[in-house]
Amino acid sequence: MGRDLSFLLPEIVVAVTAMLMIVAEMGRAARLVLAIGLAGLAVATLLTLPVLHAGTTVFSGTYRIDTISGWAKLILLPGTAAALLMARAEIAGRAREGSLYALVVLVTLGALMLSGAGDVMVVVLGVVLTGLGSFALVAFLRDDAGTEAAMKYLVFGAVTGAVMIYGLSFWFGGSGSTLLSDLGRLRGQPLVLVTGLAGLIVGLGYKAAFVPFHFWAPDAYQGAPVSIAAYLSVITKTAAFFALAQALRDLPREAGWPFALAVISAATMTWGYLAALVQTNLVRLLAYSSVAQSGYLLMGVVALGASPAAVPGIVVFAAAYVAMNLGAFAVVMVVGRELRDLDGLGRTHPVLAIALVVFLLSLTGIPPLFGFVGKLYLFTAAINAGFLWLAVIGILNSVLSLAVYLRLVVPMGREPAGALAAMSAPFLLRGVIAAALMATLGLGILAALLPG
Amino acid sequence: MIWLALTLLAPLGAGLAALAVRRAPQAFALVGAALGLVGALGLFAGAAAGTEISVSLPFLPSFPVLLMADRLTATLALLVAAVAAAVLTYAIGYMARDPGRARFFGTLLMFVAAMELLVLSGDWITLLAAWEMIGFASYLLIGFWHQRPGVAGAATRAFLYTRSADLGLYLAAFVLIGTAGTSRIAPTLATTGTPALIAGLLLLVAAMGKSAQVPLQDWLMRAMAGPTPVSALLHSATLVAAGAILLIRAAPMLPAGALLMVGIVGGITTVVAGMIALAERDLKRLLAASTASQYGLMLVAVGAGAPVVALLHLIAHAAIKSSLFLGAGIFQHDRDGTGLEALAGAGRARPGIFAGFAVAALALAGLPPMAAYFSKDAILAAALASPAAPWLLPMALGGSVLSGAYMGRALQILWSGTRSETRAPVPFMAAGMGALVVLAVTLGAGFGPLEAMLGAGADAKPWIVPAMGLGVGLGGLLLGWSIAPARLLGPLLAPARNGFAVLGGMDGLVVRPALALAALCERFEQGLFAAVLAIGRAGLAAGSGVRRTDRETIDGMIFGLVEYTIDLGGRVRRLQSGFIHRDLALTAAGIALLIGVLLAAPFYP
Repeated sequence: MGRDLSFLLPEIVVAVTAMLMIVAEMGRAARLVLAIGLAGLAVATLLTLPVLHAGTTVFSGTYRIDTISGWAKLILLPGTAAALLMARAEIAGRAREGSLYALVVLVTLGALMLSGAGDVMVVVLGVVLTGLGSFALVAFLRDDAGTEAAMKYLVFGAVTGAVMIYGLSFWFGGSGSTLLSDLGRLRGQPLVLVTGLAGLIVGLGYKAAFVPFHFWAPDAYQGAPVSIAAYLSVITKTAAFFALAQALRDLPREAGWPFALAVISAATMTWGYLAALVQTNLVRLLAYSSVAQSGYLLMGVVALGASPAAVPGIVVFAAAYVAMNLGAFAVVMVVGRELRDLDGLGRTHPVLAIALVVFLLSLTGIPPLFGFVGKLYLFTAAINAGFLWLAVIGILNSVLSLAVYLRLVVPMGREPAGALAAMSAPFLLRGVIAAALMATLGLGILAALLPG
Repeated sequence: MIWLALTLLAPLGAGLAALAVRRAPQAFALVGAALGLVGALGLFAGAAAGTEISVSLPFLPSFPVLLMADRLTATLALLVAAVAAAVLTYAIGYMARDPGRARFFGTLLMFVAAMELLVLSGDWITLLAAWEMIGFASYLLIGFWHQRPGVAGAATRAFLYTRSADLGLYLAAFVLIGTAGTSRIAPTLATTGTPALIAGLLLLVAAMGKSAQVPLQDWLMRAMAGPTPVSALLHSATLVAAGAILLIRAAPMLPAGALLMVGIVGGITTVVAGMIALAERDLKRLLAASTASQYGLMLVAVGAGAPVVALLHLIAHAAIKSSLFLGAGIFQHDRDGTGLEALAGAGRARPGIFAGFAVAALALAGLPPMAAYFSKDAILAAALASPAAPWLLPMALGGSVLSGAYMGRALQILWSGTRSETRAPVPFMAAGMGALVVLAVTLGAGFGPLEAMLGAGADAKPWIVPAMGLGVGLGGLLLGWSIAPARLLGPLLAPARNGFAVLGGMDGLVVRPALALAALCERFEQGLFAAVLAIGRAGLAAGSGVRRTDRETIDGMIFGLVEYTIDLGGRVRRLQSGFIHRDLALTAAGIALLIGVLLAAPFYP
């Protein structure tokens, strides 16, 4: 028991932090709430380092302390801290400001549980914990758009969650165990296997916004505060991928899921970029681009168990994606929600414009940026696993993505609109953008430090 | 090692310093270019003496960054450094009054550093990174005067065209890495069979984009919107050369089928782009089309199985074309434009510069004893000796005649009219151009030893080859000088003026279909929406029927609660406008499909 708890220290710290934040919020001390949150996240990140390569499980196999969950903490915790700073820049001074911070940290706790899941019940718990907090976060602004978005998100979550739990109950029935590591026992029971698998893919695919479970994403992102959209687009999404990886690692590949997920992956990236091509709202554009990026992450999941590059690919691309997507959203927070708000940015705010270009090029996957390193692993993994056609579709979509992202780059060279010259980036956002930029540029070059 | 660092880091450091300090960028440019040239000379001397330098830096586990200076890459590095040094010297004069000098020299130096990285890269991933960097740097350089109308569009177009073709390089690199299990270039070149054919054709696509081969030639002409030193550098030894360099380096791997394709693409381009050049009404665009045509000749050489010959022509063309561009830039300064009508007689005002321009033009036409005479003869000889000679030789000859013709026409226009004006001397510009013209004339003497060093024995050429070479060169020049292009090209004049935009060019082939597909997806969602909306309405009507029954039957105690729920439902309905029904219907369809695919798993091959 004591041994188990010592491995869980980061999660415990995050949970305690969330409780303390709620207590502090009762005193209406929003800045204190934020400070507690940031400190707790920092401590939890540091506590992750000693157990990064532990490669063990706790509580009789229900929770995993392995490469995926370790790196997930190193990615999700700093990402959450950045999202908190972005939220502070956006909603400082509003009523219930502290509650939002506390909810964010609680959702991150759910994300950590998803990434370390060794048991289907932990997966369900993680989905519920991330879901409940996220609905409230989306509705935070309490206006029509926010309510609609949260409603849609909730209905979708309820339906897919029900399908998932129903499907997973078949696995329990078939294997007599809720442990993911016992899934091998399902060999020879194809119907049971398929039903559970479909449930899992639906439930986690909703969180990760795969096509066709992505419909909530653009509306939810648009209705939510931009910082929350950024948070949801990176933290809960990557956590869902980590959970999917944890579950599918133990499932026999001959069950057919690699092909099914490869089809979803191809559909997701293509649909996402095509839809992004016709958006004029920056948040919706980034939402569809996030959908498309899910397709790329899925390439790594497809190759699980068939390529040694699969797990490093998921981890590295997730890290890159968190950095570059948060950075892009932070720039949108400074500039405005519409595409035309970018007119002339390159003239009036060259540094901001260059940062955005770097994030977008990294999302496209242009070497030597961080996003390319991740995609290199993912493409290698897919080709190793015999999915050359998927890699080809992925690369074709990279070209399409360039068309999407150049729609943002081109107006920056135009004549600036009047209001833009006076605009200046808040200090907090500048910090977030600088950190994301350093990660995007620096980690691409220092990629040797990453796992693999 | 020190030479390698100097070659790469001197331009990079000078570029960053020029951008950071923003003062005296010319000095940084000179120092960076000179040190880079020293480094490249050191590399070349070392490689010629037989010492190969290769440095491996840690990057990704199992994919280290590898830099390599063997005989081929050191030669290319020296070429890039030499042309860059001359062009930067010239640019000091050309950009003397431009307020954006620091940005210009900074970007140009970084571009040179990226190009050196490209030629010296020993693994595919470094090559890819450098390939993207030169693409992006050229985007910045072509769009340097982005405030002028049309310039930003031209830069974006150039970037997008070359980027779409880069797809080939990515795929080829992944195929080669996947097959050979290593990212180092040298072992992957031993690939054989189908992967080699696929990778070879994909590399050809990438090279076609960068080297502006038909049907991707259009961007090169538009890229003339950039400053002239940029054009000179891009067209001679760097951006456009990258495509040919890629094929020259990959030549040992290319199987016969891929070689034939390379040769045919090059052959078609050399003729088509030559006709475009002959029909052009703008000197810089004429030179741009001629660049595409000359790179077509190099591809013919690669296709004929003589990559070293292609390299010789690349070197000769680098010196010649950069001198021509630099000359054109001086005339452009004098006349504030590059239209051929505006430039009529510009040569008489500057006889010295015109002489340099004319020497380079004669060199391009392939007259002895200038550099391109030797390389062009070698190309003709290679085409004659290759198994595909019936295809390649006529196209190579056609390209050569056209080279003479368009250069003859340009010379004739520049020299027409009477001497009316004298101009102030342009020392920096003249120095840069002079150095390149000297190179263009004298380089040919070094081709023999260079060929021997690169391991391609100089076979005895049949007597017919120099005769053909001289004949087509002189004949072309005479035709161009004396006969108007309208009569030379006849019915082909109009399509040539349009740049032979096959099927609407790239816009028609790629951009419009992509947008149409996106619009189709949008319409699909809309149509689906309308259909599901109708179902939703029916559902709502049923719901309101139920609501009425409820009101009549349910007692007053829970009436308030119900009222509230209905009110909330109404609000949601107003907000949702039926969307969620549609989405959930699609989701359910997706689940069904998913289960179907999973259940079919045992039947997969």
